[in-house]
Amino acid sequence: MSHVDNERPPYLGYGLGLRVEYYQELLDRPHSVDWLEIVSENYMVPGGLPLVWLERFRARFPLAMHGVSLSIGGTDPLDEGYLARLDALARRIEPAWVSDHLCWTGVQGVNLHDLMPLPYTEEALDHVVARVRQVQERLRRRILLENVSSYIRFADAQLEEWEFLAEVARRADCLILLDINNVYVSARNHGFDALRYLDGIPVERVQQFHLAGHEHGEALLVDTHDAPVPTPVWTLYEAAVRRFGAVSTMIERDDHMPPLSELLAELEHARRLAAPLAKAAA
Amino acid sequence: MSELQALQLRLQRAVMASAATPLAELVGDGIADAKSRLAIYRHGYRARLREALGNEFPTLASVAGRRFNALLDRYIDACPSEHYNLRWHGAGLAAFLRYALPWRDRPAFAEAAELDWAISTCFDAADEPAIGAEALAAVAPQDWAELRLLPQQHLQWLALSTNVDAFRTAVDAAAARPHLRRRARPRRLLVWRQELTVRYRAVEPAEAALLAAAARGEPFAALCELAAADAPPGQAVARLATLLRQWVDAGLLRELQAGGM
Repeated sequence: MSHVDNERPPYLGYGLGLRVEYYQELLDRPHSVDWLEIVSENYMVPGGLPLVWLERFRARFPLAMHGVSLSIGGTDPLDEGYLARLDALARRIEPAWVSDHLCWTGVQGVNLHDLMPLPYTEEALDHVVARVRQVQERLRRRILLENVSSYIRFADAQLEEWEFLAEVARRADCLILLDINNVYVSARNHGFDALRYLDGIPVERVQQFHLAGHEHGEALLVDTHDAPVPTPVWTLYEAAVRRFGAVSTMIERDDHMPPLSELLAELEHARRLAAPLAKAAA
Repeated sequence: MSELQALQLRLQRAVMASAATPLAELVGDGIADAKSRLAIYRHGYRARLREALGNEFPTLASVAGRRFNALLDRYIDACPSEHYNLRWHGAGLAAFLRYALPWRDRPAFAEAAELDWAISTCFDAADEPAIGAEALAAVAPQDWAELRLLPQQHLQWLALSTNVDAFRTAVDAAAARPHLRRRARPRRLLVWRQELTVRYRAVEPAEAALLAAAARGEPFAALCELAAADAPPGQAVARLATLLRQWVDAGLLRELQAGGM
């Protein structure tokens, strides 16, 4: 059995998701971005421009790796080829941490390229806990799991989502990336109280916050990452900082990319909101 | 099969299905019914794959025009993604178009996909060194005969019976879409990466044969014989020297290997 490093990763401050649109500007202009989160799969490539850019950012910023295809809740065996490439990238860039989502992405070799929610059952819980342990041993580090936005409801769910997430973190000894927007979206879509969700998450497990925007569908909210962080998500963020204290925070934007200055303004807003609250929570 | 596995399989099929299928395991509530909840995943699945393929295959999009989305849907249904990177879903598109009706009778579609995919894979292919002119100058005269000129490993040759490369050039330059033309004889197109820039250019059959021979590891003397078979008498070496210089300037060669290695 390999050793899992369970040292707590550092607090990084306020960051952004690294996106191609902002590459040059992030390197050229002075700004207040403390750290960057990369989408791991975009850099799990043999060579070329993506890795050249990555090295430039690595020289200037602390980095965190955020994956979308680990499929920790999937029922296919864990993909050793994927894990080997993920591990190689982590060795190469030495990120502050490695995260993915509490979800499954496909079965029987298929990748739906979506973050499919799990039924929150005891069976799923045992399954996920065993796989998180396996991944952590493979990567020799604790990973962070992110709560996803969800739209479907399973008839036989036995646990609330926050109970499931908290139990996975406790039993597998992993950390949590709490996406505040996803908590809000799922709360609206499933009619639960977002504050109750926050109260159910163990404080000591939360290593990172995501902030993002969403879209209003006909009846449901859809997690699109294509809009500014809306007021109710900022309000929930304040509640999260009150509960969890100073947690590394980043703005996640994937579509309808605005000028970088808009994201920097959102980051400043997060700073202004969180600083006094985190101090009070400490 | 565990209950969880069976559930995931049924849910996956429902997400991938082109028509909505109810699942007993899913329920609705006062906010939204089960069907509209599942529909978000169904629409998202197709939209994401379409968008990613659209980004990777601009030449094919230009050739296909308004039939592009229907083509992508057929591919998505026939060949689901099996790669952890969404970009790589396109790896099988050219082969699909070679064999699936109605596109197999219209080679421009598969050729456009081949060109796009070659460009895409060269983009993040493994980094390789490229030799410069000084390396050629340093070769001792007696070593030339056995010298092997090794091209970049990511180098790709395409055989195009249509002018799809003109479509790609037009797309990249945001210029007007050209007219599709068929060539009497297929033309070789070389796709490679020079440092960080992906390049492509047409090559004459004689040059393609020489480069292929170099890639097979044949020594310089064999390349001279090949060139002599195609060039006017006495001009083979000069012609080869010119080509060699062009290859070096374009970053096409990764290594000069002395004989006996």
